[in-house]
Amino acid sequence: MIIADAIFILIALMTMVGALTTILARSIIYAMLGLVVTMFGIAGMYIYLNAPFIAMMQILIYVGAISILIAFAIMLVGPLSQRPREWTTLTRFIIALVVAAFTFFVFIKIVVGSKWLPGMSSALNLTTKDIGRTLFDKLMLPFELISLLIVVAIIGAIMIALFSREEK
Amino acid sequence: MSEMSLYNNINIYLFVGLFLLACGIVGVLYRRTLVSMLISIELIMNGAGLNLVVFNRFVAPERAYGMAFTLFIMGIAAAEAAIALAIIILIFRRFKNVESDELKEMKD
Repeated sequence: MIIADAIFILIALMTMVGALTTILARSIIYAMLGLVVTMFGIAGMYIYLNAPFIAMMQILIYVGAISILIAFAIMLVGPLSQRPREWTTLTRFIIALVVAAFTFFVFIKIVVGSKWLPGMSSALNLTTKDIGRTLFDKLMLPFELISLLIVVAIIGAIMIALFSREEK
Repeated sequence: MSEMSLYNNINIYLFVGLFLLACGIVGVLYRRTLVSMLISIELIMNGAGLNLVVFNRFVAPERAYGMAFTLFIMGIAAAEAAIALAIIILIFRRFKNVESDELKEMKD
Protein backbone atom coordinates (compact mmCIF):
# COMPACT_ATOMS: atom_id res chain seq x y z
CA MET A 1 0.00 0.00 0.00
CA ILE A 2 2.95 2.30 0.61
CA ILE A 3 4.18 1.91 -2.95
CA ALA A 4 0.68 2.49 -4.36
CA ASP A 5 0.35 5.64 -2.26
CA ALA A 6 3.74 6.89 -3.39
CA ILE A 7 2.91 6.37 -7.05
CA PHE A 8 -0.44 8.07 -6.54
CA ILE A 9 1.19 11.11 -4.94
CA LEU A 10 3.68 11.20 -7.80
CA ILE A 11 0.87 11.13 -10.38
CA ALA A 12 -1.06 13.88 -8.61
CA LEU A 13 2.04 16.06 -8.38
CA MET A 14 2.81 15.39 -12.04
CA THR A 15 -0.70 16.48 -13.01
CA MET A 16 -0.50 19.70 -11.04
CA VAL A 17 3.01 20.58 -12.20
CA GLY A 18 1.89 19.99 -15.79
CA ALA A 19 -1.05 22.33 -15.29
CA LEU A 20 1.23 25.01 -13.84
CA THR A 21 3.62 24.59 -16.77
CA THR A 22 0.69 24.95 -19.14
CA ILE A 23 -0.31 28.32 -17.84
CA LEU A 24 3.06 29.76 -16.85
CA ALA A 25 5.46 28.68 -19.60
CA ARG A 26 6.74 31.46 -21.79
CA SER A 27 6.83 29.40 -24.95
CA ILE A 28 3.62 27.97 -26.35
CA ILE A 29 5.39 24.73 -27.26
CA TYR A 30 6.22 24.18 -23.59
CA ALA A 31 2.62 24.98 -22.73
CA MET A 32 1.44 22.24 -25.07
CA LEU A 33 3.93 19.76 -23.59
CA GLY A 34 2.69 20.65 -20.12
CA LEU A 35 -0.84 19.90 -21.31
CA VAL A 36 0.34 16.47 -22.52
CA VAL A 37 1.90 15.78 -19.10
CA THR A 38 -1.35 16.77 -17.41
CA MET A 39 -3.35 14.47 -19.65
CA PHE A 40 -1.07 11.53 -18.88
CA GLY A 41 -1.44 12.28 -15.17
CA ILE A 42 -5.22 12.30 -15.50
CA ALA A 43 -5.04 8.93 -17.29
CA GLY A 44 -3.06 7.56 -14.34
CA MET A 45 -5.70 8.84 -11.94
CA TYR A 46 -8.38 7.10 -14.01
CA ILE A 47 -6.46 3.85 -13.55
CA TYR A 48 -6.40 4.45 -9.79
CA LEU A 49 -10.16 4.99 -9.99
CA ASN A 50 -10.61 1.50 -11.51
CA ALA A 51 -11.58 2.90 -14.89
CA PRO A 52 -8.94 1.55 -17.31
CA PHE A 53 -11.15 1.97 -20.38
CA ILE A 54 -11.53 5.69 -19.71
CA ALA A 55 -7.77 5.92 -19.15
CA MET A 56 -7.05 4.35 -22.53
CA MET A 57 -9.60 6.64 -24.18
CA GLN A 58 -7.96 9.61 -22.47
CA ILE A 59 -4.57 8.68 -23.89
CA LEU A 60 -5.99 7.93 -27.34
CA ILE A 61 -8.21 10.98 -27.74
CA TYR A 62 -6.52 13.71 -25.72
CA VAL A 63 -2.85 12.78 -26.01
CA GLY A 64 -3.12 11.22 -29.43
CA ALA A 65 -5.55 13.48 -31.23
CA ILE A 66 -6.17 16.81 -29.55
CA SER A 67 -2.57 17.61 -28.63
CA ILE A 68 -1.47 16.78 -32.17
CA LEU A 69 -4.21 19.10 -33.45
CA ILE A 70 -2.91 21.86 -31.19
CA ALA A 71 0.65 21.21 -32.37
CA PHE A 72 -0.49 21.60 -35.98
CA ALA A 73 -2.20 24.87 -35.10
CA ILE A 74 0.96 26.15 -33.39
CA MET A 75 2.99 25.28 -36.48
CA LEU A 76 0.49 26.82 -38.88
CA VAL A 77 0.17 30.09 -36.97
CA GLY A 78 3.30 31.90 -38.04
CA PRO A 79 7.00 31.16 -37.58
CA LEU A 80 8.51 30.80 -34.14
CA SER A 81 10.56 33.99 -34.35
CA GLN A 82 7.50 36.18 -34.88
CA ARG A 83 5.55 34.63 -32.06
CA PRO A 84 4.16 37.33 -29.76
CA ARG A 85 4.98 37.38 -26.10
CA GLU A 86 2.71 35.12 -24.09
CA TRP A 87 2.73 37.26 -20.97
CA THR A 88 0.50 40.22 -20.47
CA THR A 89 0.55 42.96 -17.87
CA LEU A 90 0.90 42.35 -14.18
CA THR A 91 -2.51 43.86 -13.52
CA ARG A 92 -4.21 41.30 -15.64
CA PHE A 93 -2.26 38.50 -14.00
CA ILE A 94 -3.38 39.67 -10.56
CA ILE A 95 -6.99 39.89 -11.74
CA ALA A 96 -6.84 36.38 -13.20
CA LEU A 97 -5.27 35.07 -10.00
CA VAL A 98 -7.97 36.68 -7.86
CA VAL A 99 -10.78 35.25 -9.98
CA ALA A 100 -9.23 31.77 -9.99
CA ALA A 101 -8.54 31.85 -6.24
CA PHE A 102 -12.11 32.94 -5.53
CA THR A 103 -13.50 30.07 -7.60
CA PHE A 104 -11.06 27.64 -6.02
CA PHE A 105 -11.94 28.53 -2.45
CA VAL A 106 -15.68 28.57 -3.06
CA PHE A 107 -15.54 25.06 -4.48
CA ILE A 108 -13.14 23.89 -1.77
CA LYS A 109 -15.62 25.09 0.84
CA ILE A 110 -18.42 23.19 -0.91
CA VAL A 111 -16.31 20.02 -1.12
CA VAL A 112 -15.20 20.16 2.52
CA GLY A 113 -18.67 21.01 3.75
CA SER A 114 -20.54 18.23 1.98
CA LYS A 115 -21.20 14.82 3.47
CA TRP A 116 -20.61 11.99 1.02
CA LEU A 117 -22.70 8.87 1.08
CA PRO A 118 -21.48 5.92 3.17
CA GLY A 119 -20.00 2.91 1.47
CA MET A 120 -18.05 5.12 -0.85
CA SER A 121 -14.86 3.16 -0.42
CA SER A 122 -16.25 0.08 -2.13
CA ALA A 123 -14.36 -0.61 -5.29
CA LEU A 124 -15.87 0.23 -8.62
CA ASN A 125 -16.59 -2.98 -10.51
CA LEU A 126 -17.81 -1.56 -13.78
CA THR A 127 -16.34 -3.17 -16.85
CA THR A 128 -16.25 -1.95 -20.42
CA LYS A 129 -19.35 -4.04 -21.04
CA ASP A 130 -21.25 -2.03 -18.44
CA ILE A 131 -20.12 1.22 -20.02
CA GLY A 132 -21.33 0.01 -23.40
CA ARG A 133 -24.66 -1.10 -21.90
CA THR A 134 -25.18 2.31 -20.31
CA LEU A 135 -24.12 4.09 -23.46
CA PHE A 136 -26.37 2.20 -25.83
CA ASP A 137 -29.35 1.40 -23.60
CA LYS A 138 -29.89 4.46 -21.47
CA LEU A 139 -27.97 7.15 -23.31
CA MET A 140 -28.77 6.28 -26.90
CA LEU A 141 -30.07 9.71 -27.93
CA PRO A 142 -27.14 11.72 -26.47
CA PHE A 143 -24.72 9.30 -28.13
CA GLU A 144 -26.29 9.85 -31.53
CA LEU A 145 -26.39 13.60 -30.96
CA ILE A 146 -22.68 13.61 -30.11
CA SER A 147 -21.87 11.74 -33.30
CA LEU A 148 -23.96 14.23 -35.27
CA LEU A 149 -22.16 17.08 -33.52
CA ILE A 150 -18.77 15.68 -34.45
CA VAL A 151 -19.77 15.26 -38.10
CA VAL A 152 -21.07 18.83 -38.21
CA ALA A 153 -17.89 20.10 -36.55
CA ILE A 154 -15.63 18.31 -39.03
CA ILE A 155 -17.62 19.56 -42.03
CA GLY A 156 -17.71 23.05 -40.56
CA ALA A 157 -13.97 23.11 -39.98
CA ILE A 158 -13.30 22.03 -43.55
CA MET A 159 -15.73 24.63 -44.91
CA ILE A 160 -14.17 27.40 -42.84
CA ALA A 161 -10.67 26.49 -43.96
CA LEU A 162 -11.57 26.05 -47.63
CA PHE A 163 -13.88 28.92 -48.40
CA SER A 164 -11.87 31.57 -46.65
CA ARG A 165 -8.93 30.79 -48.93
CA GLU A 166 -11.10 30.91 -52.02
CA GLU A 167 -12.66 34.25 -51.24
CA LYS A 168 -9.27 35.86 -50.77
CA MET B 1 -6.62 -1.12 5.36
CA SER B 2 -7.69 -0.20 1.91
CA GLU B 3 -9.93 2.51 3.33
CA MET B 4 -6.91 4.18 4.85
CA SER B 5 -5.15 4.41 1.51
CA LEU B 6 -4.58 7.77 0.03
CA TYR B 7 -6.04 6.92 -3.35
CA ASN B 8 -9.38 5.96 -1.79
CA ASN B 9 -9.88 9.49 -0.56
CA ILE B 10 -12.37 11.46 -2.63
CA ASN B 11 -11.05 14.84 -1.52
CA ILE B 12 -7.68 14.41 -3.20
CA TYR B 13 -9.24 13.74 -6.59
CA LEU B 14 -11.60 16.67 -6.19
CA PHE B 15 -8.66 18.86 -5.21
CA VAL B 16 -6.78 17.93 -8.35
CA GLY B 17 -9.85 18.59 -10.50
CA LEU B 18 -10.34 21.97 -8.83
CA PHE B 19 -6.69 22.80 -9.34
CA LEU B 20 -7.07 22.10 -13.05
CA LEU B 21 -10.16 24.35 -13.14
CA ALA B 22 -8.32 27.20 -11.41
CA CYS B 23 -5.31 26.84 -13.71
CA GLY B 24 -7.59 26.89 -16.73
CA ILE B 25 -9.31 30.07 -15.52
CA VAL B 26 -5.96 31.77 -14.98
CA GLY B 27 -4.81 30.68 -18.42
CA VAL B 28 -7.93 31.90 -20.21
CA LEU B 29 -7.81 35.29 -18.52
CA TYR B 30 -4.06 35.76 -18.62
CA ARG B 31 -2.66 34.32 -21.83
CA ARG B 32 -2.34 36.49 -24.86
CA THR B 33 -2.71 34.26 -27.87
CA LEU B 34 -5.80 32.36 -28.90
CA VAL B 35 -4.05 28.98 -29.07
CA SER B 36 -2.96 29.29 -25.44
CA MET B 37 -6.51 30.07 -24.43
CA LEU B 38 -7.67 26.94 -26.23
CA ILE B 39 -5.06 24.89 -24.35
CA SER B 40 -6.37 26.32 -21.07
CA ILE B 41 -9.93 25.35 -22.01
CA GLU B 42 -8.69 21.80 -22.58
CA LEU B 43 -7.34 21.88 -19.02
CA ILE B 44 -10.79 22.78 -17.71
CA MET B 45 -12.39 19.96 -19.70
CA ASN B 46 -9.87 17.47 -18.31
CA GLY B 47 -10.76 18.55 -14.79
CA ALA B 48 -14.46 18.13 -15.52
CA GLY B 49 -13.96 14.62 -16.86
CA LEU B 50 -11.93 13.63 -13.82
CA ASN B 51 -14.68 14.97 -11.55
CA LEU B 52 -17.35 12.93 -13.30
CA VAL B 53 -15.41 9.67 -12.99
CA VAL B 54 -14.65 10.43 -9.34
CA PHE B 55 -18.31 10.95 -8.52
CA ASN B 56 -19.18 7.79 -10.41
CA ARG B 57 -16.70 5.79 -8.40
CA PHE B 58 -17.32 7.22 -4.93
CA VAL B 59 -20.93 8.36 -4.83
CA ALA B 60 -22.88 6.25 -7.33
CA PRO B 61 -20.90 3.11 -8.20
CA GLU B 62 -23.87 1.08 -9.48
CA ARG B 63 -24.15 2.52 -12.97
CA ALA B 64 -21.56 3.78 -15.44
CA TYR B 65 -23.21 7.14 -16.09
CA GLY B 66 -20.19 9.17 -15.08
CA MET B 67 -17.86 7.27 -17.35
CA ALA B 68 -20.29 7.59 -20.26
CA PHE B 69 -20.47 11.34 -19.73
CA THR B 70 -16.68 11.52 -19.59
CA LEU B 71 -16.65 9.89 -23.02
CA PHE B 72 -19.17 12.51 -24.17
CA ILE B 73 -16.91 15.25 -22.82
CA MET B 74 -14.01 13.82 -24.81
CA GLY B 75 -16.08 13.88 -28.00
CA ILE B 76 -17.24 17.43 -27.40
CA ALA B 77 -13.66 18.50 -26.65
CA ALA B 78 -12.47 17.01 -29.93
CA ALA B 79 -15.19 18.78 -31.92
CA GLU B 80 -14.58 22.06 -30.09
CA ALA B 81 -10.82 21.86 -30.68
CA ALA B 82 -11.31 21.24 -34.41
CA ILE B 83 -13.70 24.18 -34.84
CA ALA B 84 -11.62 26.52 -32.67
CA LEU B 85 -8.42 25.73 -34.51
CA ALA B 86 -10.09 26.28 -37.88
CA ILE B 87 -11.30 29.68 -36.65
CA ILE B 88 -7.84 30.52 -35.28
CA ILE B 89 -6.19 29.69 -38.60
CA LEU B 90 -8.80 31.79 -40.40
CA ILE B 91 -8.12 34.72 -38.07
CA PHE B 92 -4.39 34.35 -38.60
CA ARG B 93 -4.84 34.35 -42.37
CA ARG B 94 -6.86 37.54 -42.26
CA PHE B 95 -5.23 39.59 -39.50
CA LYS B 96 -1.72 38.09 -39.51
CA ASN B 97 -1.67 37.62 -35.75
CA VAL B 98 -3.53 35.67 -33.11
CA GLU B 99 -3.30 38.02 -30.15
CA SER B 100 -6.66 38.48 -28.52
CA ASP B 101 -6.04 42.15 -27.75
CA GLU B 102 -5.49 43.00 -31.39
CA LEU B 103 -8.74 41.51 -32.64
CA LYS B 104 -11.08 44.44 -32.35
CA GLU B 105 -13.04 44.38 -35.57
CA MET B 106 -15.28 41.52 -36.58
CA LYS B 107 -15.77 42.42 -40.23
CA ASP B 108 -13.66 44.46 -42.53
